Amino acid sequence: MAAADSILEVEGVVTRFGDQTVHDGVSFTLKRGELVALIGGSGTGKSVLLREIVGLQRPTAGAIRLLGTDIWSASAAELAAVRRRFGMMFQDGALFSSLDVAHNVATPIIEQMDLEPDVLWPLVHLRIALAQLPPEAGAKMPSELSGGMRKRAAIARALALEPEIIFLDEPGSGLDPITARAFDKLMRFLVDDLGITVFVVTHDLDTLLTVTDRVIVLAKGKVLADGAVEEIMGVSDPWVQQYFSIRTMVGGGANNSHGT
Amino acid sequence: MSAADSRVRLEDREGRARLCLEGNWRVTSLPAIDAALDGLKPARRVEALDGAGLEALDTAGALALLRFVQSTGADPVETPRENFSARHRRILEVVAASLERVVAGTETRRPGVFAGIGRHATEIAGLLLGHLSYLGLTAAGLWHLLLNPRRLRVKELAAQFEQVGINAVPVVALVTFLIGVVFAYLLGLQAEKYGASIFVVDGVGLGMAREFSPIIVAVIVAGRSGAAFTAQLGTMRLTEETDAIRVLGLSPMDVLVIPRLLALMVALPLLVFVGNIMGNFGAMFMADTMLGITPTTYVERLQTAVRARHYVVGLVKAPVFAFFISIIAIRMGMTVSRDTRSIGINTTSTVVQSIVSVILLDAVFAVVFQKLGI
Repeated sequence: MAAADSILEVEGVVTRFGDQTVHDGVSFTLKRGELVALIGGSGTGKSVLLREIVGLQRPTAGAIRLLGTDIWSASAAELAAVRRRFGMMFQDGALFSSLDVAHNVATPIIEQMDLEPDVLWPLVHLRIALAQLPPEAGAKMPSELSGGMRKRAAIARALALEPEIIFLDEPGSGLDPITARAFDKLMRFLVDDLGITVFVVTHDLDTLLTVTDRVIVLAKGKVLADGAVEEIMGVSDPWVQQYFSIRTMVGGGANNSHGT
Repeated sequence: MSAADSRVRLEDREGRARLCLEGNWRVTSLPAIDAALDGLKPARRVEALDGAGLEALDTAGALALLRFVQSTGADPVETPRENFSARHRRILEVVAASLERVVAGTETRRPGVFAGIGRHATEIAGLLLGHLSYLGLTAAGLWHLLLNPRRLRVKELAAQFEQVGINAVPVVALVTFLIGVVFAYLLGLQAEKYGASIFVVDGVGLGMAREFSPIIVAVIVAGRSGAAFTAQLGTMRLTEETDAIRVLGLSPMDVLVIPRLLALMVALPLLVFVGNIMGNFGAMFMADTMLGITPTTYVERLQTAVRARHYVVGLVKAPVFAFFISIIAIRMGMTVSRDTRSIGINTTSTVVQSIVSVILLDAVFAVVFQKLGI
């Protein structure tokens, strides 16, 4: 059995598509109450790994223990029990397009619990409020929402059953920097105030530098580095160096212009 | 999950009502929490909250708690909280901050029957007006093409013609052949009684040429090519291909609309002609086996019974049907909104609209031809 404070253990995950190896023994552990980011270049299988963790795609080999349950050897009932305890936000929200936001958020609650309407709907609106959506957003259809609001609505739905861990697939993609920063704050709020563990796949350097507790770098099918962002920046790998050098370049440019 | 009980006690300490929470106050135990809180009602005003015995608290539990506090007439934000852990205190604060808007939240309502009828009516009116303006736009596009024929995209036109015309021949041939069989059988049953079997040829010949072939082929094409137009153009809009066409300086009207429109207007009369022939073949087969009318007799009778103008009547309708089917299908494709559900809705709507419009136009033609005595 896993240590009490580890919420997710990925052990030696191997993924092959035909003769192409995406993951060649990926291992890491997540502790409760952490905000961990997964980064890596295009094609390093970040999204595939996320899909394997939440039980959508079977890895070729290796084990994934989420909330103490081995996802790929669990029975259907065990899997269903775990699914009630984590939340997932897909890249484009994946909201049900035939339901308005409030009913989207209500769906998991209605499926799992039998609540009176006067308990259910305030709870739904609390989720909408926690995702920092305006009250009138509840009655809107997904097609009427902007990209950022759609992602917030997806987070509200992921929060519906108050999960212990939440997975976010590129929450900042397609958002303007201001909205993306607001999202960073929202992630921090989930971790600090609600005590939820957050695992985020991201490309956003600002997110990495300002709000994450830990960064995991995926490269060449393995975990290349795992630690606080300052440690990661010190790793002598060309890809990592290049990744963070963009930030240094921008920072340097700003300083120069102030100097003159 | 360890299902610790959710308990709550109302203590009287030095005259102050103190609500003591114990156990697990999480979303999964909401029914138990509600039951426990209901057990306390009617409660006097709560003057303090005690979280010493609390094992777990999440926002759902906090919401239930604060709503109960509010229901006793106390202020859920100001009521002192004692012995709560820092984390639980923070969760209570978060929930208290949005309590006001949350409590007012009810189920988002679908519009009522009358509102629904009204909305549908305005939607249909808007749709028809939009079709009308698109009709004008397409007419203008055709006019430009007429002034400058070199703008016609011959390759695209040929590709579309293959799709909507040639590829549709088998299904059109099969369906009209079968209709011919059925129609001849139906007429034969009646005509046989009066010894007027030969008039089956008149009936089938006239019916096929004037009504059945144009209508049936138009309905098939509406379902087949109309739906395809909407789905293709809708997908192109979703992937912003239509916008790319516009940005590259090309006109969607030239590239997408006109070739489809012209292809269908040429293809439909030809398909109707195929339908005519196949329908008569079907009837010929049935007349031979059921009524003993040989194919030679059938063809001879057909020549005297059906004048050329009857075929013309059928063939004149076809391009008009085609024009309306394409206008509807193309516009429905071009107005797909940016979500996947909309493609399905618009495609369905295209098929319904174009079939209805075909029948409607046919009725108009019937009245006009009757007045003209054709």
